Amino acid sequence: MPESSEAIVRLEHITKRFPKIVANDDISLSIRKGEIFALLGENGAGKSTLMSVLFGLYEPDEGRIFIRGNEERIHSPAEASALNIGMVHQHFKLVLNQSVTENIILGKEPVKRRFGLFSPIDMKGAREDVRRLSERYGLDVDPDAIISDLPVSARQRVEILKMLYRDAEILIFDEPTAVLTPQEIESLLGVIRSLRDGGKTIILITHKLDEVKQVADRCGILCRGKLAGVYDVANITTKEMASLMVGYDFETTLVKDSRPMGAESLSVEHLSYVDDDGVKRVDDVSFTVREGEILAVAGVAGNGQVEVADMVAGLLSPTSGAIRFKGQDITDLGIRDRIERGISYIPEDRQEVGLLLDFDLGTNLSLKRYYQSPYCTHGVLHREAFVKTGDALISQYDIRSSQGCATRVRSMSGGNQQKAIVAREISMGSSLMIFVQPTRGLDIGAIKTIHERIVAQRDEGKAVLLVSLELDEIMELADTIAVMYNGRIQTVQSASGLSANQVGEYMMGVHHEAQK
Amino acid sequence: MNSIIIDGMAFSLPLFIIAIGGIYSEGSGITNLALEGFLGFGAFCGGLAVALFGGSMPQGTSMYLAFAMAALGGMVFAMLHALLCIHFKADQVISGVVMNVLSAALTAFLANQINASVFGKASNKFMLEVSPRFTVPGLSRIPVLGGFFTSVYPFEVLIILVALVMSYVLYRTPVGMRIRSSGDNPQAVDAAGGNVARIRFGAVMTSGALAGLGGMCFAYSISTNFSPSIYAGFGYLSIAAMIFGNWRILPTFFACILFGFARSGGYYLVTKLELPSSYSDLVLTLPYVTTLVLLIFFSRSNRAPRALGEIYDKGKR
Amino acid sequence: MKRRSDGPKRVMVALLGTGKRQNIQTALFCIVLSLLAGSVLLLLLGKNPLLAYKSILQGAGFFPKARYAGHRSMLTDFMSLLNYTTPMVFASLSVAVALRCGLFNICVSGMMVASGFVASVLLGYSSFSPAVARPLVVLVGLLVGGGIGAVIGWLKYRYNTNEVVVAIMCNYIISYVVSFFIQTRYIDPTTRQSLKIGQNARLTLFDQVVGDLKMEIPLVLPLAIVCVLLLSFLFSRARLGFELKAVGMNRKASRYAGIAVGKTMVTSMVISGALAGLAGVSYYLGCFASIQPKVLPSLGFDAIAVALLGNSNPWGCFFASLLVMTISNGTTYMASTLGVLREIASLITGILLLFSACGAYLKGLADRYAEELEEQRILAVKEGGQQ
Repeated sequence: MPESSEAIVRLEHITKRFPKIVANDDISLSIRKGEIFALLGENGAGKSTLMSVLFGLYEPDEGRIFIRGNEERIHSPAEASALNIGMVHQHFKLVLNQSVTENIILGKEPVKRRFGLFSPIDMKGAREDVRRLSERYGLDVDPDAIISDLPVSARQRVEILKMLYRDAEILIFDEPTAVLTPQEIESLLGVIRSLRDGGKTIILITHKLDEVKQVADRCGILCRGKLAGVYDVANITTKEMASLMVGYDFETTLVKDSRPMGAESLSVEHLSYVDDDGVKRVDDVSFTVREGEILAVAGVAGNGQVEVADMVAGLLSPTSGAIRFKGQDITDLGIRDRIERGISYIPEDRQEVGLLLDFDLGTNLSLKRYYQSPYCTHGVLHREAFVKTGDALISQYDIRSSQGCATRVRSMSGGNQQKAIVAREISMGSSLMIFVQPTRGLDIGAIKTIHERIVAQRDEGKAVLLVSLELDEIMELADTIAVMYNGRIQTVQSASGLSANQVGEYMMGVHHEAQK
Repeated sequence: MNSIIIDGMAFSLPLFIIAIGGIYSEGSGITNLALEGFLGFGAFCGGLAVALFGGSMPQGTSMYLAFAMAALGGMVFAMLHALLCIHFKADQVISGVVMNVLSAALTAFLANQINASVFGKASNKFMLEVSPRFTVPGLSRIPVLGGFFTSVYPFEVLIILVALVMSYVLYRTPVGMRIRSSGDNPQAVDAAGGNVARIRFGAVMTSGALAGLGGMCFAYSISTNFSPSIYAGFGYLSIAAMIFGNWRILPTFFACILFGFARSGGYYLVTKLELPSSYSDLVLTLPYVTTLVLLIFFSRSNRAPRALGEIYDKGKR
Repeated sequence: MKRRSDGPKRVMVALLGTGKRQNIQTALFCIVLSLLAGSVLLLLLGKNPLLAYKSILQGAGFFPKARYAGHRSMLTDFMSLLNYTTPMVFASLSVAVALRCGLFNICVSGMMVASGFVASVLLGYSSFSPAVARPLVVLVGLLVGGGIGAVIGWLKYRYNTNEVVVAIMCNYIISYVVSFFIQTRYIDPTTRQSLKIGQNARLTLFDQVVGDLKMEIPLVLPLAIVCVLLLSFLFSRARLGFELKAVGMNRKASRYAGIAVGKTMVTSMVISGALAGLAGVSYYLGCFASIQPKVLPSLGFDAIAVALLGNSNPWGCFFASLLVMTISNGTTYMASTLGVLREIASLITGILLLFSACGAYLKGLADRYAEELEEQRILAVKEGGQQ
């Protein structure tokens, strides 16, 4: 517990508006010195925005900020830094082609002598400072390692060191555990505790309720831009937190009965992929998916799952190995051929890959069949066919768009863009469906709907290959779970025989060697 | 044999200093195809300065005025490219091409106009003083390597000095580190408190100054005047050198040496084999053909700065 | 509540337009800005801008001149304008097609020289009848230009070369190689250019007698208009046009949709090259009858300005070509009557290019202001309703 209960940060009536939405609506809260304060809320609730205001990335439309009792106007990260506020962002702000030390000192470079523009950087001194800091707080890094060579957890440690190098006293962590395995999360929570013991004040932005219970003193819950309340963590249950986050009581369980599985649909055999840098991203991966089965591939981001999905869909060429679909070898088949044979693919990046943002909704909804009749005959496209299909899908899947088929997809919200992709891929009637991160960034209602559709497809006898970073989603949907770590399959088992913790351990590579 | 080295260096070094300008600009994230226009405008400014003041200066000093004015002129013209790319968020490739077209048109017009109104003659050229060349006694007697010390233009020494300074600044000072970081992840620089727009603006202006200097050196060594023929594609050659050099100064130096020696080697061949002068046209294609061939083989493995050419929008998180 | 900054915002939105009309309005805005800049320049030179622009229009054949030489009239000037506009239309279409697919064709000048040269050598010095020679000249233009385009496109696809640098290298290589061949075999010692081609292969009827006048008749102008129509159809209704646009916007998503990206890129460069080849033959075997060695026609680079101004739209390119050539042709007359340098034409074109390059920014600005004004209006209505 913190010794003094003076407020080191006080936010009064903070309001921040964006063109279509009020991100923060009259929020007032205070954070005590030396405590770990969790800011809870689901995606889009306004937590990141609020902290961006504190960190100087945005200026509030209304309201005041008090740091250590003094009113401050924070116009930029530099000013926030001067007030000893630091932030570890969800998307790291690291320069990949430079070393750990160079990244840490960027913006506050120590110089040997003063020659104006020509003063040389004191790299030796900087390295020493980095070493000292990392030892003091238990953040293990090699000062000379190049960032592009480091794994995600190490990069996160560099981000933390960046804050500490600037004598940050108030440390903001934005969804820090989103990219870590359960074991790495434990390690990070330990670091957070030791930082707090060292006198720092920690603000944790998260939606992971069990972590809040483990480490936070108090929590503030945001719901759709408003503050639902501030509570002592010891006095509130995770179920209560969840209800406050969504604003109503909701059922988390999905109805999924077990069904008999059909014939083998997809077979991946000894698949390997070496990327342009010579790194083996996928190492001898084999598994099968049957009709009426959901095979979920679990793993921490970057362990080769997306590459496997890309190879099955045809976007990447395997370095070795084979892919069989319905008994036929499709390893060398082009993307269009695979689509025509019955493979649907929802890609990880919905905006860059899944949609042509500057075209209209009608075109995107028939993106994979534009060249077939009735959409195209003798090389000429027929608008009416696109509109007919598009209108049907829009009403069937409840896709919100300002002008129906003529809406420019770029102007649609992320959730509706994703709905459009799901609508398109499912309506193609393919017998194999590959979904990568299908519910990323969506609100709880939309997630539930999409989960229901995935189960419905499986009930109709389709084969589903699901790649997800959300352990909850995997545990909920999978019939069979495959775990990937460092490009290799660690295990393939029926979901009923695995607990979430066990899956987490496989994700970390603890149990070595997969059974064949 | 010596002539290959002498003419090669006289071509490679100006190319090199222009390429360093490209490295600064593209290293900070701004695609810079405008080096051709910058070098031409710089040469124009230097030539104009000599035409206006050269007569009243002691012999041999007008050259240094020309270099200073060329760098200044290139820097000012480059501000237009910086403005277009950074503040008006134009497509950087298009902006680069626009700069080149504008520079050619502007310098042609102004050269004609100024010659007509101020000097009363119909010409599109500015004449320069012939640059002296010096030979280092002793060192120039060494077989083969002596060629590097024979018949050297003063600007070659100037370029080497400037190159050393620019290299030091880029790799050893905070300013250089921020420039290189802006080209990889401008968000990181922004979060660290740097002003990305200002850093990039400065980098582009630097590229203008260096290109202007290089252009002036070309003017002295190739034709001893400023004329529209200064736009011979050398700016694009330096971009190619930068691409081979993977946006790093030392490898780019070697690429420039390669181009320069390909060109001087070709001329040497023409004289040695006593071919008629029209064959010099074929020879002049050598640097360009070499570039093309090397581009084909090296484009796969190049490591462009990650944020090169992307418009940086502060509003996006 | 109306704020002070509203006024300028309204003006900008009114000038630049929103929605579909935005492209045309913004283009007009850029043109007006350039003319204003040109006026400032002319004033600095001590000339009357209005007189200057009028003399440009006179020179181009839109207004009558005070006096005409024998057998000349406003119509002959206008025909001359159309004659020089034809290669520009082809060249700007060439740039536009490549741009739509996300590629930059800077090799237009080189393609022009190459196709002009090959056509001259194969047909210009031949004695085929005009009915045979002329169509073949067009064919040669298409093939040579298309071939070079295919090479550049293929290199880009296969080796990921920077197509701008490759194109520029090709420009210079072509320029020097052609110059070499002209100097050694086809040189006309008096003009220092290549030997004049025969009238049988010429795509422009020169000094054609029509009634009392002698004029130039560009035979391939109808072909240029046909190209505009074809490209218009291609981009609005055809499957290939859709694929070109998709690849131009987003290669990854296009690949994901099953489009063969590499083939599409090469196709766009082939079409672009073919159009550049047509520009070359209509220039060197039409407007002119010989090739000047070691000179890359500035038309190839001005075509970029035209394509930008026309927003890569086929009809936009057509009218923008007409505008730019009007400036180019008209300034000769302006130079002789007002004593202004000819070079001012390329300067004004350069300024036009500068403003066009800001086009995307201006459009974005107009959209943003329109949105802000709309929001204020909604807020004001709400406030008004509550009172």
